[in-house]
Amino acid sequence: MFGYVVRRLLQLVPTFFGATLLAFLVIQLAPGDFVTRLELDPTQDRESIANLRQQLGLDQPLPVQYAKWLSGIFQGYLGLSLSYKTDVWSVIGQRILNSMVLVVLATLMIYLIAIPIGVYSAIHKYTWPDRIFTVLAFLGLAIPNFFFGLIMLFLAVWLNDLTDMRILPIGGMTNEFLHLGNMTRAAQWLFPFALGGTLIYAALFWSRSRRGQTPTFGVWLGLVLFGVSSLLMLAPLLQGPGLPERLPYTESPLWARITNVLWHAFPVVIVVGTSGLAGLMRVMRGQMLDVLSQDYIRTARAKGLSERVVVYKHALRNAVIPFIAGIGGLLPGLIGGAGLVEVTMAWPGITPALLEAISAIDVYVIMGLITITTVLLMVGNVISDLLLAWVDPRIRYS
Amino acid sequence: MRKILFLGLLVLAGAALAQPKVFKGTEIGRPGGAYRITSISDPRTWNPFVARETSSTDIISLFLPYLTSYDPYTQAPEGRLAKSWEIRNNGLTVIFRLREGARWSDGRPITADDVIFSATVHADQRVNSNARSSFILDGQPIRWTKVDQYTVRADFPKPYAPALIQGWYIVPQHIFEPAYRAGVQQLQALWNLDTPPAQIVSGGPFRIDSYVKGERVVLVRNPNYWGVDERNNPVAYLERYTVQIVPDLNAQLARFLAGDSDVFAAANADQVAQVLERIRAGRLRAEIFPNVDVTLGTNFIVFNWNHKDPFKENLFRQVKFRRAMAHLMDKKSMIEVALGGLGQPQWSPISIPNKAFFTDDVAKYEFNPQRAQQLLAELGFRTKNRDGWLVNAQGRVLEFNLTTNQGNNVRERIAQIFRDEARKIGVKVEYRPIDFNELVRQLTSPAADGTREFDAILIGLTGGIEPAFSRNVWELDGSLHMWNLGVGGKRPAKVESFEVLIDTLMKRGATTLDQAQRRQIYVQFQKVVAENLPIIYTVAPAYNPARLTRLGGMFPKEQINSITGQAPYIETVFAKE
Repeated sequence: MFGYVVRRLLQLVPTFFGATLLAFLVIQLAPGDFVTRLELDPTQDRESIANLRQQLGLDQPLPVQYAKWLSGIFQGYLGLSLSYKTDVWSVIGQRILNSMVLVVLATLMIYLIAIPIGVYSAIHKYTWPDRIFTVLAFLGLAIPNFFFGLIMLFLAVWLNDLTDMRILPIGGMTNEFLHLGNMTRAAQWLFPFALGGTLIYAALFWSRSRRGQTPTFGVWLGLVLFGVSSLLMLAPLLQGPGLPERLPYTESPLWARITNVLWHAFPVVIVVGTSGLAGLMRVMRGQMLDVLSQDYIRTARAKGLSERVVVYKHALRNAVIPFIAGIGGLLPGLIGGAGLVEVTMAWPGITPALLEAISAIDVYVIMGLITITTVLLMVGNVISDLLLAWVDPRIRYS
Repeated sequence: MRKILFLGLLVLAGAALAQPKVFKGTEIGRPGGAYRITSISDPRTWNPFVARETSSTDIISLFLPYLTSYDPYTQAPEGRLAKSWEIRNNGLTVIFRLREGARWSDGRPITADDVIFSATVHADQRVNSNARSSFILDGQPIRWTKVDQYTVRADFPKPYAPALIQGWYIVPQHIFEPAYRAGVQQLQALWNLDTPPAQIVSGGPFRIDSYVKGERVVLVRNPNYWGVDERNNPVAYLERYTVQIVPDLNAQLARFLAGDSDVFAAANADQVAQVLERIRAGRLRAEIFPNVDVTLGTNFIVFNWNHKDPFKENLFRQVKFRRAMAHLMDKKSMIEVALGGLGQPQWSPISIPNKAFFTDDVAKYEFNPQRAQQLLAELGFRTKNRDGWLVNAQGRVLEFNLTTNQGNNVRERIAQIFRDEARKIGVKVEYRPIDFNELVRQLTSPAADGTREFDAILIGLTGGIEPAFSRNVWELDGSLHMWNLGVGGKRPAKVESFEVLIDTLMKRGATTLDQAQRRQIYVQFQKVVAENLPIIYTVAPAYNPARLTRLGGMFPKEQINSITGQAPYIETVFAKE
C-alpha cells in the first residue's frame, strides 16, 4: 500500500509538467495577447504598444516565458497578473474562497437530498412520487444553470414586490449595510422554535439509544439542523440588542456577516444544486435498483430480515460505493467555481474572474487557476483510489 | 463628539480654501445621502500609471484631480485643479495657475511639484502610462516645468488645439516619489487593490473607504476637497458613493428595478420596456429617457485596400464600389433589428452627440439597391452567372468575406442585414464572425510585403469629444489607418488623393487654435469622409438613461447627453430623501 502511494505521487510530477505545458501552449495558440485590445484604441501609438509588450515580457519566445513562469511556481509564486499588476494569488485567492461557499453548500445539499430521494425512488419505482421525481430530475437537467439564475433573480424581484419585504436578495454576496436590528428580532422570534426542535430530536435520539437502537438518518439530520441553528442564534441573541440598527458590512460582527452571506447564497445554491441534484438522484436510483436485484438481497430477504435492514444495511452500503469514490473528484470542483451562475447572480466567485482573465488574455491568472486545479485533480484522484480500496474489499493495490 | 470634530474640520478646510472651484449644478442641493451605481467589472488598480480600463479610471477620477476638463454645459475647456490659464507664444506655451489652498486628504497642499512630478511619470517611457500620448506631439515631447509653487508651464513643440484639455491624473508626490526613485516596478506596485484604503490619498471629491473584491467599492466624501457650490457650500454633497460590481447586464437591470442602484443605461428596447412597466405599476420611483441621445461608439465596415489579390485591392479602392456598398445598408432595419428600434443612422466619423464639431450636412448614400446595382454595373458587373452572382466581363464573381467579432450581438446582426441585402442583388458576401483578437491582428498587422488578408471587417471604435485624439485613424502614417495601412509606421505605398486631403485636414485641425476655424476644418473632414467612404458607417446605438427620482442635481431631459451623462458634475448630485 505504501509503495503504491509513493508510486502514484511520483507519477504526479510528469503529469504536472505535461498538463501545465499543454495549458500554456493552448493559451498562447489563441490569437492575440494581453496588449492586442489596446491596439484598437486611437490614442495609443505604435511605440507605447511595443513598449508595453516588452515590459510585460510578451515579446519573449514561448519557452523562455514558460521557463520563467515555472521557476516562479517552484518558489510557490504563481506569477504576476498582467492587468492587476499584483501577484496572481491575491487576484484569485479571495474569489476561490467565495466560490467555495457555494460549492460546499451545494454539494452538501445535493448529497443530503439526492441520496434519500434516489433510494425512495428505487424502492417505490414506477409509483406516482417516483414519476414526479423523474420529471423534476429531467427538468433540472434540462434547464441551463445561468438561465435558471436569471429566472431566480426575477422571481426574487417578484416575491419582494408581492410581500413588500426583502425576502430574497437580488444577486451579490453581501449587502453594503446590514440590518442588525432585523436580524436580532428574527433570532429572538425563531430561537424558541429552534430550541424546541433540538430538544425534541435530542429526546428521540436519547430514547432510541436507550432501547439499544441506532438513531435513524432523520433523527441525526433533525438534531444537527436544529442544534446548529440554535447555536448560531446565540450570538445575535446575546450581542444583538446592544448594537445599532444598521451597520456597514465591514464593521458588522462576524455572525451578522455570515448570516448575510448565507442569505445571499440561498437562491444561488438552489440554482447550482438543482442540476447536480437531478443527476445524482437518477444515478442513485439506478445504483440502488441494480443492487436490489442482486442475489444476496434475495437471500437476505429469504432469511427473514426486515425490509429496513435489507435496504439500509445490505443494499444502500453497496450502492453508495461509487459516490464515495467520487469524493476525491470533488476536490478540484471546490475551487473550480459554480459556473456562469456566478456571473448572472453577481456572486464574486472565480468564474467571473476567470472569464475576465480569458477575454483579456491575462496569461498568468489563467495559468494559476489551471495549476491549482490540476494539482487538486491529481491529489483528488489519488484520494479517490485510496478511498475505493478502503470501502470496497475486492480492490487491493499492491 | 465625532460629528463636532468633523464639522470643525469642514470649517477649517473651508477657511483654508482660498480659491475653490465653483461647481454650478442644476440646483442647490443638500449634503448627505448615498449614490449607488453598478459596474460590469472590478477595478484593476488604484494606480493611475497602471490603469488602462474604464472600470479602474472611472473610480480613480473620483479621487485624483486633473488640471482641466470639459464644461458640461458648453463642452469648452474648463479649469479643475487649474484655476486659470494663459496662452503665450502663439499657442506654444500654456501657463496653468493652480488653486492655492487645495489639499490632499492627508492635509498636504497640492502644488506645482505634484503636477510636475505626475507629468514626468506619465511621460516616462518605462512607466508606459495610458496617458503617455498626452505628452508627445508628433514624436516630440511636450515639456512641463514649474514656475512657482502654484504655477506650471507647458511648452508644446507646435501649436496644439487640445492643449487646454489636460485630463491626466495628478498624484501626491510625497507618496509616489520614493517608489519612483526605487524603480518602475515599485511604482507600479503602489496603490494596488490590496493597499489598505486608508493609505490611498485623495485630491478629488471622494476618497476610497472600502473595497470588497467582486462586490463593491465604497467611496466617501473627501472633506478636504477644493470645490464649492454657487452658495459657497462645500461639495460633493453626497456622503457616500458606492460602485456595485454586477458582471451581467440583466442582473444590473434587476438591481435597478429593485431600487438598489440609482442610475442605469438601458441597452435595448426590451430593457426600456421593463423599466417603464415597473414605473407605471408604481413599483419604482424612477424616470427613463429612451433615445434621448446616441452613444459615442461607432460601428462601421472597412474594406482592405492592401489585399494580396490585385483584383480585390483594385475593387475596394473604387469609390463607386464603396458607394454601392453604402447604398446596400438598410439602416432602418439595422436600427429595428440590431438595436431594438432605438438608435440613429450614422454617416460621418464625428459622433452625433459631439455638438461642437458634428455636422449633418454631408453626402448620404442612403439605402437604394437599384442605385447600388447601377454603380456596380458601371464597374463592369453587369451580368449574373448561373448561381445568380454578379460577374464582370472576365467572369470574376463579385464576392468578399465580411467578418466581425464574435459575441457582439449588435455587430453580428448588422453584418447579417448587410449580407442579406447584398446577396439580393447578387453580391456574394460570406459572413463569418471571428475572435476579437484575431480580428485585430488581421486589421493591424500587415505582412512584410504590406498586404493584409481580410476582405471586409465590421468593427467599431469608441469615439471621444476631441477629434484630434483620433489622429491615429485618419493620418496617413497612423497605426489605425485601417483601410490602407502602411508598414512599420510609414505611409501606405499607394494613397488616393482624398486620403491626403484628410491627412492635411487632421493635421490642421490639431494645430488650429481658433474654435470657429477648427469647426470649419472638421466639417470639411466629415464631408470628405462621407463622400469617399474609406470607412462606411452604419448605425449608432441609442443612449437610454434611467435614474431614481430620489436624486437631485440631475440634468433635465433636454440637457442629458451621452458625453456628460445625466448630471453636470458628480459633485452637485444629491439625494433628495
